[in-house]
Amino acid sequence: MTIRTRLTLWNASMLLVALLATGALAYHELVTEPRAHNQGAQAAGKSQKDSAPTDLVEISIFCSIVPAVALALAGGWWVMLRTVAPVTALTQAAEHMNEHNLGAPLARTGSGDELDRLTEVFNAMTARLNSAFARLREFTLHASHELKTPLTVMHGELENWLRDGGLTGEQRERVESQLDEVQRLAKIVDSLTLLTKADAGQVVLGREAVRLDELLREALADAESLGRPAGVTATLGVCHQVTILGDRHRLRQLLLNLCDNAVKHNEPGGKVTLDLHRAGGCAEVRISNTGRGIPPEVLPKVFDPFFRGDVSHSQAVEGCGLGLSIARWIVSAHGGTIQIASQPGGLTTASVWLPVAV
Amino acid sequence: MLLVEDEKKTAAFVRKALQAEGFAVDVCHNGEEAWAAALTTPFDAIVLDIMLPGRDGLSLLRQLRQHRIATPVLLLSARGEVNERVDGLNAGADDYLPKPFVLAELVARVRALGRRGGESKPAVLQVADLRLDTLTRRAERRGVFIELTAREYRLLEFLMRSAGHICGRMAILEKVWDYSFDPGSNLVDVNVMRLREKIDADFDPKLLHTVRGLGYVIKEPS
Repeated sequence: MTIRTRLTLWNASMLLVALLATGALAYHELVTEPRAHNQGAQAAGKSQKDSAPTDLVEISIFCSIVPAVALALAGGWWVMLRTVAPVTALTQAAEHMNEHNLGAPLARTGSGDELDRLTEVFNAMTARLNSAFARLREFTLHASHELKTPLTVMHGELENWLRDGGLTGEQRERVESQLDEVQRLAKIVDSLTLLTKADAGQVVLGREAVRLDELLREALADAESLGRPAGVTATLGVCHQVTILGDRHRLRQLLLNLCDNAVKHNEPGGKVTLDLHRAGGCAEVRISNTGRGIPPEVLPKVFDPFFRGDVSHSQAVEGCGLGLSIARWIVSAHGGTIQIASQPGGLTTASVWLPVAV
Repeated sequence: MLLVEDEKKTAAFVRKALQAEGFAVDVCHNGEEAWAAALTTPFDAIVLDIMLPGRDGLSLLRQLRQHRIATPVLLLSARGEVNERVDGLNAGADDYLPKPFVLAELVARVRALGRRGGESKPAVLQVADLRLDTLTRRAERRGVFIELTAREYRLLEFLMRSAGHICGRMAILEKVWDYSFDPGSNLVDVNVMRLREKIDADFDPKLLHTVRGLGYVIKEPS
């Protein structure tokens, strides 16, 4: 039961009790007393004519209680509606609030009452949250940008060192290993920059007609070449012709990311299957793979940045742990949804739904 | 050629690498200096960092193009946004390389800038006994036909056109896969491995080599 209903009913029942008490008192004063008086007077030989007005009073007292309570119910309901409206607005606003719209404050009534004060406090709190999120984004952006210069210098100097020669085989090996690590770091910084910018809404995506089926066929060729060294075969199942509006390069990256995962988390002799269905206004891409599967308890975390699943297993799988976070961003930037379902030891399926072009 | 880069260390090692390739390199550390230098000297190519103190690289580039200075320009940027790449090319740049870059990659691109529009592309490419006919799309080694997928063909053509020079992963992704950013996968490596199996496994000497940390190269046996 809402506060509004509870308060209204409570008010109405209070009113009912009050009216009943008043009615009872009035009844006693206006009906019972005069009757007793009349009876006394009757005994004294007077006529009964005077009892008619007391009946009228009786009726009017009891009949007025019902409309009065009904009025109290309706009026109370309306008053309560107005009173709790700011609370309802606050609730709705809090419900729709996420890290991207924290900056928009709620409108205040300006009446200075408790609820207006609550709105003010709420706004102040979200403003603080907003600036905390903004600071975090700024920090990551600056950090990833600042890291690029030293990485460029390190890479360049190592390269010059290699080119100049004069290194023994062992020294060369060391420098090359350093280069590998610098490149790995550069990739992480790149992905991190992309995710941070995407989060801040700073990445502009193309919006052209893209044949999803063609991209899927291309992804199949990529999955085949990625799978070959690992003994994983890739096949194309259903492939409807679908055109969507979007960023061709990012969509290719999305499919490649998913295929890459499907190959990496597979087993020798395993399979990767790609499907594309068109159902109503939606295109559904499904990429499934065999392998050990993802335990149900870690399934909700697979899209988190730097999540690598099973720690003992993660050593064997390369990558920086940002691929699925990027995939999720690409999907949501296209107005779609992505889900991963897995049966341990069975099939793991990544499903992507994207709105088709009309 | 002219190198415009405000970060001293970066400027130093890029200059060193370009000089090692036989380029004469002038270095400017800010936009004003670069503008003055570009007006007075006809350079063969300009390597231009976008983020510069004072006048930034993009506005300098626009000004150059407005003054009908058509020197090929390679933009460098630490921001590495796809839109920035598009902006740069629209402003009149000939190429764009995000930081951090592989130095060998930068050198290869500068070399390509100098070549641009110059020599015509031969239809038949040959490295040692490996032949690639770009009209019939036929590859053969010592007369033996080698079957290639469409992707492997493009990869081989790109490597053979740059024969003798290291091709970085980024350049391969760009020319062969048409990605302007690293999509985060070892796609290039597995395809090069596969190509190597096809062109080198049954033959000697080996032509396709990995240059660890830098990329791949097809070259005549020395």
